[in-house]
Amino acid sequence: MHSTPENNIAYHCTQKICQEGNAQKNAFVFLDSQMQSTFFSFQQLEEESNRFANVLQQLGFQEEEPFFLFLPKTPETFFCFLGALKAKLLVSPLFYSFGEDALLDRLSDSGATGIVTRKSYLKKLKRILPKLPRLKKILVIDILDHLSENQLSLPLLREGVPSSFEIPPTSREDPSVLHYTSGSTGKPKGVVHVHGSLALQKRTTQQVLGLESDDVYWCTADQGWVTGTSYGIIGPWSLGVTQVHYAGGYDPEKWMLLLSEQKVTVWYTAPTALRMLMQQPDAFFASFSFPHLKRIYSVGEPLNPEIISWGRRVFGMDIYDTWFQTETGSIMISNHPGLIVKPGSMGKPVDSIEASVHDEKGNPCAPNEKGRLVLKPGWGSMFVNYRNHTDVYREKFVHGWYQTGDTAWIDEEGYFWFGGRSDDVINSAGHLISPFEIESALLEIPQIVESGVVGVPDPMLFEKVVAFIRLKPDVEMDKELELKIRLYLSNKLSSIATPGEIRVVDRIPKNKSGKIMRRVLKASYLGQDIGDISTMEEEE
Amino acid sequence: MNPFEKLQAIFQEVFDDPELEISPETTANDVDGWDSLSHVNLILAVETRFHITFSQKELMTFQNVGDLLAAIETKIQPGS
Repeated sequence: MHSTPENNIAYHCTQKICQEGNAQKNAFVFLDSQMQSTFFSFQQLEEESNRFANVLQQLGFQEEEPFFLFLPKTPETFFCFLGALKAKLLVSPLFYSFGEDALLDRLSDSGATGIVTRKSYLKKLKRILPKLPRLKKILVIDILDHLSENQLSLPLLREGVPSSFEIPPTSREDPSVLHYTSGSTGKPKGVVHVHGSLALQKRTTQQVLGLESDDVYWCTADQGWVTGTSYGIIGPWSLGVTQVHYAGGYDPEKWMLLLSEQKVTVWYTAPTALRMLMQQPDAFFASFSFPHLKRIYSVGEPLNPEIISWGRRVFGMDIYDTWFQTETGSIMISNHPGLIVKPGSMGKPVDSIEASVHDEKGNPCAPNEKGRLVLKPGWGSMFVNYRNHTDVYREKFVHGWYQTGDTAWIDEEGYFWFGGRSDDVINSAGHLISPFEIESALLEIPQIVESGVVGVPDPMLFEKVVAFIRLKPDVEMDKELELKIRLYLSNKLSSIATPGEIRVVDRIPKNKSGKIMRRVLKASYLGQDIGDISTMEEEE
Repeated sequence: MNPFEKLQAIFQEVFDDPELEISPETTANDVDGWDSLSHVNLILAVETRFHITFSQKELMTFQNVGDLLAAIETKIQPGS
């Protein structure tokens, strides 16, 4: 196992770019929520991440210790991510809207020893601290004095710390990034990636996104998700590309201004955002000009044909759909320039990726026959484990193929078409949501006796969360209770876990072993045939 | 409790932050976690606690807390 600092992802994103003579080039322009811009060069990215790496070493963090980022999009998000990689910690960025239960699941499962956050997020962490005995340090980016021995001011820690850092020898097999992902059963699982993932992330950034050194690139993904790290940090910066990072939320006018004024050339976003933009009249877009914009890409959910038509009309170009997962680490199937876009299709496998669609016995499906989307293991950015769940990791490989959990079909020309999930995981606005987590949280509300959660088709979000609940006999549903349920889920889990609809039912269908029959709930919601219910538990 | 104080309490509950302080100029960008999904919760909370309802058209006009408060005050006026 060859170890050298040159294998470290962060080396490629900062130091190498500076050594190549691009130290003064803009690594990113940071736009705050009011669109005020601050520019950061690769030299600053290198030095600030070095300082953070030094802070981590001085605090005694050891290689491969799980270290979390719980931050909104700020410059520190990037400095800390890269600094922690340089110090060879296992870095796990968290979605900014996670509630205390979602945080506890991830910090507890990983055995997190450190986290960097901001003052206003501390309250959530403080509530769960007693359950996290291994969490030894909390670094806070926006306080000027230490709060206690373990709750420390990052600005204070950074004072006088050298801006150079010697990256320890790193092998391609050393753990790098940890992203938690939701399944249909059990708690979220920590997907472990390694430093060797860089090569394919860099290559797909070149080959699929087509980024070149003079591009200005905007990836709208939050750094809490794999797109935000693979293509919002690692891929573009390893190529020395200038990025735009915007701290504000969705706002059609600001987004179009950003594209126009920042002279964005390549834009990577999500179908839900595009569908929201589609609600604007065409005249709205005519008031902006995008002479620099060359390509638009999308990820997270299937890109419906209407969006492709709209993109051609409004921006005068195709929008390229890309498909990948937290586990794959980089784009596996994609549309891209040079490949004729079939609206609605995911495109074709990229690079050397071998993808197929199999039936339940593991045999390849005939053209246009829907089956399980599978990948031949061994691609460069493949995850190496689910942290603490090697058994689940092994189960993902059947007959020598990685089971993605998605269904698809391949047409006669080799284009892949997304068919949905093969499990109960909900894809809402590009976020994978575990019904199990929501069902469990619902049962913590005293008025609720039983719960079942499904995703149903939604024209804006792709799928929306629908919660079915059975209430205690003396409880009636009213606006106050609905509010209580919504706020509980939003604050304990995340705003993305908040149901779009809550339905009160007399019973939750379960099979004879007590498992919730979500397909029955979904079919009844959609007014479809509920199918075989011979295994359903008899009504009491 | 006047409408502003009541609205502040609602914000603290919705965004799970007992120390959150709002002003008429506060926008979604100033409050951690105020995204499109939690905005639905905020409006539901305002409607429930003030016993009012907003039309879709009204919802589109709120640019900041001041706009929301003005709409609330109009609706809770006796006789309105």
